[in-house]
Amino acid sequence: MLQLLPQAIVDGILIGGIYITVAIGFSLAYGVMHVIDFAVGEWIMLGAFMGFYLNRWLGLEPILLFPVIFLSFFVVGLWIQPLIHRVLSGRRGNPVLMGLVFTFGLALMIRGIALTVFGFYSHSIPSSLAQGSLFFQVGPIFVTIPLIRLTGLGYAVLVTMGLYYILHRTDFGLAVRALAQHKEAAGLMGVNARRTGGHVYGLYTGISATTGALIGCIFSISAQMGPDYTIFAFFVVVLAGMGYLPGVPWAAFLLGFVQSFFLIYLSPSYTMLAVFAALYLILLISPKGIFGKGV
Amino acid sequence: MGRKFYASISVVVLLFLVVPLVVHDTFYLRVITEAIMWIGLAVTWDVLAGYTGYLNFGHGAFFGIGAYTTAILMVHKGWPFFAASIAGGAMAGLGALIAGIPTLRLRGAYFAIATWALARAIQQLALILDITGGPDGMRLPPFLQPGFFFYVMGGTVLIIFIVFWYLFEVHPFGLKVKAIRENEDGAMAMGLNPARIKIKVFIISAVPTGIIGGIYAYWITYIDPSSTLGDLVTDQAVVMAVFGGLGTLIGPAIGALIISTFKTYFWAYLSDYQVLYLIILGGLIALSVVFMPDGLWGTVYGKIQNARLAGSKEKR
Repeated sequence: MLQLLPQAIVDGILIGGIYITVAIGFSLAYGVMHVIDFAVGEWIMLGAFMGFYLNRWLGLEPILLFPVIFLSFFVVGLWIQPLIHRVLSGRRGNPVLMGLVFTFGLALMIRGIALTVFGFYSHSIPSSLAQGSLFFQVGPIFVTIPLIRLTGLGYAVLVTMGLYYILHRTDFGLAVRALAQHKEAAGLMGVNARRTGGHVYGLYTGISATTGALIGCIFSISAQMGPDYTIFAFFVVVLAGMGYLPGVPWAAFLLGFVQSFFLIYLSPSYTMLAVFAALYLILLISPKGIFGKGV
Repeated sequence: MGRKFYASISVVVLLFLVVPLVVHDTFYLRVITEAIMWIGLAVTWDVLAGYTGYLNFGHGAFFGIGAYTTAILMVHKGWPFFAASIAGGAMAGLGALIAGIPTLRLRGAYFAIATWALARAIQQLALILDITGGPDGMRLPPFLQPGFFFYVMGGTVLIIFIVFWYLFEVHPFGLKVKAIRENEDGAMAMGLNPARIKIKVFIISAVPTGIIGGIYAYWITYIDPSSTLGDLVTDQAVVMAVFGGLGTLIGPAIGALIISTFKTYFWAYLSDYQVLYLIILGGLIALSVVFMPDGLWGTVYGKIQNARLAGSKEKR
């Protein structure tokens, strides 16, 4: 069993990479809007199906489709966000509550539409990278790294660094950080909360959708996959501290380890229970995440 | 409690006693029983969501805990039905206590996430365990008396409704709860302990849900993880409460009546288009939040109040 340990660690890192992109846009959107989006898994699912159909019709390598998917869902996000903004700035007593209910309804609706249009079957996106893999062998221990999963990790690193650059080196990023810190003060300094919020939401839906296409190349996709990824995104974001972006990669790797260890050493059917138990313990001991920096 | 309240309660009780005498068709009796069950589920969801502002997206889990506890006690331990369903309620309350302690101290977003994750975890637990029958579910001893279940379900929901009305609209406890919803810091400054009160409300909401789940299990005689512990129970309770009007007791009841009637006809005539139902539920939630944030009852009631105000001004 110990021979499998290096493989479990490598798998954990590779799976964790995917969870970074699952959760990082979501964490950013929460930081700015202060509303958790129950539709996060559904954006992932829609992106996955867009990748699946584009790949089938055009026959292009899925990785090359990422910019198209990103741009399409960026536009969708820009179009959805004003609705959320409207709910949040309503005169009702508890707008955050209404925002939550709204995204919950949105998630249900997207899932229903997807089940109607795409059906109940599972698919996967064929990628030429899926065949190749790297082998390493030292004595009795050997480790396999599928190329497509390595690409996924590379994509996660790219997205993380890209977001870091945008948030810390551009005026737009400054506006986003100001908005996350104090909405009214940022508004007084000339930040257009509506437009910036829309762009952040677009970034988030775009990143989530491309992640979906990536997941389609590595695992399988179906119209019912959404809620599972929503749970994973929640888990990572709570672990990292809600709205605290630098915590996301570490929390994602931890989730990757939990999953790969359960897959290899225990039964995968216990994963959701383990995820919930961990979530419960974090909320009990350190509700602001493992770094104590959540909001 | 004014005279109006007693009058309306006695009308409801009379109607309720008469229904099985008038309705002989078991199909309709079943439909009415189910509508009453949904009134119970929507109202119990709303006392937490509408009165404290914490959204429980795992309401179905408490329903399922009640159903499974009742089924296990009746099938494996030979308990009588009433004792088993009350034990189901107790287990649901215990679940609420355990889930509520860490999460209700925090802001609503954490609570929504945690309850949603709890529902998934409970569903997976029921799929793995032997005692719950895994994915095959459980069969209960059949007891085919539609009239009995009508009275049990209806009586339970009626008692729940009256107790909730007393607790939240008459007793000072309701004022405390509303104070926390409006301004938690202010309520704390007045000497209230918000976390403790919220946990109490959560338990008050979960125990009846578990009892309803227990009655449902014995009534339907078959429970399995995908239907009893699935998302649809929570989804429907949320739609009914939000569409009917959050923060009232009558709103969710009206919402439950409308949507469960709609559901019955939809499943009877359009069962080929089952997934359309999800789209309709989701669309209804999203649209009510955007265009009718006070819900059906809140909007209508507000209009009546405004008309009354306008009328009294004209007289002067």
